[in-house]
Amino acid sequence: MPGLFVACFKIGSLSFGGGLSGWVHREFVQRHGWITDEEFAANLAMAQMFPGVNVVNLVIGLGELLRGPGGAVACLIGFLTTPFFAVLALDGLTRLVADTRGLEAFMEGVAFAAIGMLVVVCGQGIARVRHSPMGLATIIVIAGSVGVLGWSMLPVVLVAAPVSIAFANARIAVDGG
Amino acid sequence: MEDDGFWSLSWILVPLSLLSIGGGASIIAGLETEVVRQQGWISSQEFLHMFAVTRAAPGPGTMVATLIEYKLAGWTGAVVATLALFLPSSALFYAVFRTSNRHRGKRWHRVLREGLAPVGTGLMIAGVMAILRLSGGGLLAVGIAGAAAAILYRFPGLSALAIILGGGLATLGLRAWG
Repeated sequence: MPGLFVACFKIGSLSFGGGLSGWVHREFVQRHGWITDEEFAANLAMAQMFPGVNVVNLVIGLGELLRGPGGAVACLIGFLTTPFFAVLALDGLTRLVADTRGLEAFMEGVAFAAIGMLVVVCGQGIARVRHSPMGLATIIVIAGSVGVLGWSMLPVVLVAAPVSIAFANARIAVDGG
Repeated sequence: MEDDGFWSLSWILVPLSLLSIGGGASIIAGLETEVVRQQGWISSQEFLHMFAVTRAAPGPGTMVATLIEYKLAGWTGAVVATLALFLPSSALFYAVFRTSNRHRGKRWHRVLREGLAPVGTGLMIAGVMAILRLSGGGLLAVGIAGAAAAILYRFPGLSALAIILGGGLATLGLRAWG
């Protein structure tokens, strides 16, 4: 249990930007050999399809697999501890010197680069459904209504998610999956 | 207003937490709409500053909610907001994971995965649009974001920290130049 906490604490402390599942894989599969590759992949797929930050869901699932409810809690708290204090500390620090234009430009650039990282993840999501007209249509409808028209996310998702799942169901039935 | 914002934001965060399909990035647009445009609790510059801070610090970008609530209601607010942000989705995932672990490899597992994936991607694209719009950075924002995306696409192994620092320094340089 302390090992789980420490592993997640390390991942949380170094969780800059995305691409964290690679780090989790290194700790849980390669370094400690706690779970197999296959278990990791199955958990990752689930972590991504449910609400919540992917890596947070991922470590909760791994904690449950290894040590039950206590393990899941240890992983969650371990992961979030450093980020919680770090954002508050950095925010305070930037406010002390917030009148310097240089720092503002730097932080602005940090946000721009972060947008670029999100764009890559969006591109991967589009590539994943490129052979599915319904999948592409779902992406366009949601990005257009929420992103361009500024509609509330809640009603859009409540309508679009069941429709998209129903089409996936029909498609998989045709495929014989 | 401070007492008001304390619980109100948490009540906004609980449903957002349960809607953050495809990762935290998908709720940035919804959070900005509520907090900046509808409630007017903080300005869009403030929101962008806080988002930049969350990106420079470790942790999910959704922790921008922790900073907003810290500004509105101090340490207690920061803790309550963080719990409101992470507990609902975590509890849901835990319950589903525990149950479905016995059904791994079954058909409905795949149906749900393939149905929800494009929903998450669409929400993430909306998030990108929201951040670009309120950044007010115009061509510079698009240019730096595009360059970061192109570099990451070309060199997938590059560390996220290097990209973020590079974006910050490039913008600093370009702003100083202009």
